[in-house]
Amino acid sequence: MKIGIISVAHMHAVGYMYVLQGMPNVDIVGIADEDRSRAEPWAKQFNLPLYSSYQELLEQELDAVIVTSENAKHHEHVIAAARAGKHVLCEKPLSTNLEDAQEMIDVCERSGVYLGTAFPVRFSTPVAAAKKAIESGQIGEILAIKGTNHGFIPEGWFTDPALSGGGAVMDHTVHLADLMRWFMETEVKKVYAEYDSRFSDNPIDDCGIVTLEFENGAFATIDCSWSRTKAYPTWGDVTMEIIGTEGILHVDAFGQKINVYSDKVGVKWDPWGDNMDEGLLRNFLDHIGQGKPPLVTGVDGLRATEAALAAYRSFEEKRTVVLR
Amino acid sequence: MQHILLIGAGSMATVHAFSYLSLSKIKLVGIVDPNSEKAEPLAQMTGVPAFVTLEEALDKLEQVDIVDVCVPTFLHKEYVLKAALHGKHVICEKPLAGNLADAQEMIDFCNYRKVKLFVAHVVRFFPEYEKVKAHLDSGSIGQVGVVRMSRVGKMPAGHQDWYSNPDLSGGVVMDLSIHDIDFLRWCFGDVERVYAKGLRGREWNTKQLDYGLVTLRFRNGVIAHVEGSWAHEEFVTTFEFAGSEGIVDYDSSKDKPLDLKRRESSEAGGGVFVPLSTVEPNPYARELQHFIECIETGADPRVTAEDGFKAVEVVLAALQSMDSGQPVTLGERE
Ligand SMILES: NC(=O)c1ccc[n+]([C@@H]2O[C@H](COP(=O)([O-])OP(=O)(O)OC[C@H]3O[C@@H](n4cnc5c(N)ncnc54)[C@H](O)[C@@H]3O)[C@@H](O)[C@H]2O)c1
Repeated sequence: MKIGIISVAHMHAVGYMYVLQGMPNVDIVGIADEDRSRAEPWAKQFNLPLYSSYQELLEQELDAVIVTSENAKHHEHVIAAARAGKHVLCEKPLSTNLEDAQEMIDVCERSGVYLGTAFPVRFSTPVAAAKKAIESGQIGEILAIKGTNHGFIPEGWFTDPALSGGGAVMDHTVHLADLMRWFMETEVKKVYAEYDSRFSDNPIDDCGIVTLEFENGAFATIDCSWSRTKAYPTWGDVTMEIIGTEGILHVDAFGQKINVYSDKVGVKWDPWGDNMDEGLLRNFLDHIGQGKPPLVTGVDGLRATEAALAAYRSFEEKRTVVLR
Repeated sequence: MQHILLIGAGSMATVHAFSYLSLSKIKLVGIVDPNSEKAEPLAQMTGVPAFVTLEEALDKLEQVDIVDVCVPTFLHKEYVLKAALHGKHVICEKPLAGNLADAQEMIDFCNYRKVKLFVAHVVRFFPEYEKVKAHLDSGSIGQVGVVRMSRVGKMPAGHQDWYSNPDLSGGVVMDLSIHDIDFLRWCFGDVERVYAKGLRGREWNTKQLDYGLVTLRFRNGVIAHVEGSWAHEEFVTTFEFAGSEGIVDYDSSKDKPLDLKRRESSEAGGGVFVPLSTVEPNPYARELQHFIECIETGADPRVTAEDGFKAVEVVLAALQSMDSGQPVTLGERE
């Protein structure tokens, strides 16, 4: 299978390329990036052609592309790839507004290509095991979920609203909103958020608590804060405390780690878990190969983005946003 | 020497009774509880007489300086007003009352009778919480952004199951999360806005589980998340204070100076869980001693009656938010 990479703006591109290079029957055809200077080191490292325009890349023989550009450029890149007849895996959040997301979905459908959203956490082993435990009824009906998705304050375009479409709320609400929808097979109904910029002088939200209510009646909170300090032993987390009628399930997607106390590297959590990017890419490639949509679709990406956008609107209006 | 009359002989009263026994210059003189099965054993263990009513106790006892009210929440007002009427200082378990009108009446009447009213928000006296307050005050974690507090466990089996009746206990946010809400108020001052979700009143919640997730926005900008649960198996408290220059966290299920597991799990009683403390004196004793020192010196207490009122006010705003589905701004409450 021949894969193209559109942009390395999002560092996940590098993680994906590592995984892809290790996969049999997968060729990375090249990287396209209008900013050659940021892409050149990676093109060199992976020994790949670098195109200055994504159009050039799309003219190559390709089965699929991975779009890892700045959030605001996903729309342009996904639509171009779809029109060129390539299946697309798009980094999260799918888009920075709902109209774009819907158009991306529609154009992919009309062009006969599959659109996947990169929510790798669904492929984390503990998270996948939690999904199984829930499906087999171990905790009964889900009543409530307490979620966290913490992280470092990212650098570069992430904190520029014009390119990212939003800060911590946009960046970190979507992962958990997706997992919760997936676990409960229900849609977000109501959203409220409190957020602010309290961890840096960046002109963008860097912390907040989002509260969701779902169509099945369950409620949840998501702490989406970029609140991990430099001294903290790890860069981020994805955790959920799931309250069911028959039990409680705690999931820590990054809980597979050992603790290191080193005079050389400091206090660190060293992870030993499986690589969730690998599960994500394998699922995407296997499914498009078999002519079926990937586990995480464009619609999943749209729904998660919808929740994040509603979070912003709720806080601006200081009232609960009702989605459906 | 201060002479204490204890009201109630349940879980909390027992903790207070033994705390008094461990303190000097303080004398427990009697226990009031109409339920003699409760009152007699505690009276015997502590070596003081048991009484059926407050009036009887005041009548028979030579000296009472302080009345300590450790009965279920819906009975607080009755005993606080009676104690004040008799000119006794009052220590009252949290929550001060289940509604603001009662809380205000209790405060006003104690003021009028010139007796002190202390509300037993004991978390302010737990060393791990005092420590985090010291970190905030010293600025070691910079500007605080987001705080996470959690207090989870089983629903306690109180006298005639009063905890399970929201009209009597106020539910898990009123009874349990109020500890964290009060502590946060101590750290950050007044609350601006509250948003909350809970299991209260949801028809499919047939298992008597109670669970609340409350988001608080403080006037100083801090965002806090408070989890309260009577849906868990084990009693656990955690906190995380994340600031621009550091994080302080604690998890009672991991940071355990003492851990006791009996082979045959023969859970005693099933009353309210009172964490085993490894500090001496224990936080309850330190709290009670502090209140008594305030009586003797006239100093302002760490927790004022007004703090007790405001904690209830925040809880009621959370309950209102659960009912209305909307954020509630304090001061604009119905
Ligand atoms: N600070 C804390 O950590 C903490 C912990 C637990 C409980 N509490 C609070 O303490 C209070 C008591 O809780 P508890 O768990 O000890 O309750 P409990 O149910 O264990 O005990 C209540 C006692 O009150 C007695 N009682 C009932 N009606 C009475 C009456 N009319 N007059 C006098 N006594 C009466 C009962 O016989 C029983 O002995 C509550 O307000 C609770 O919220 C505080």
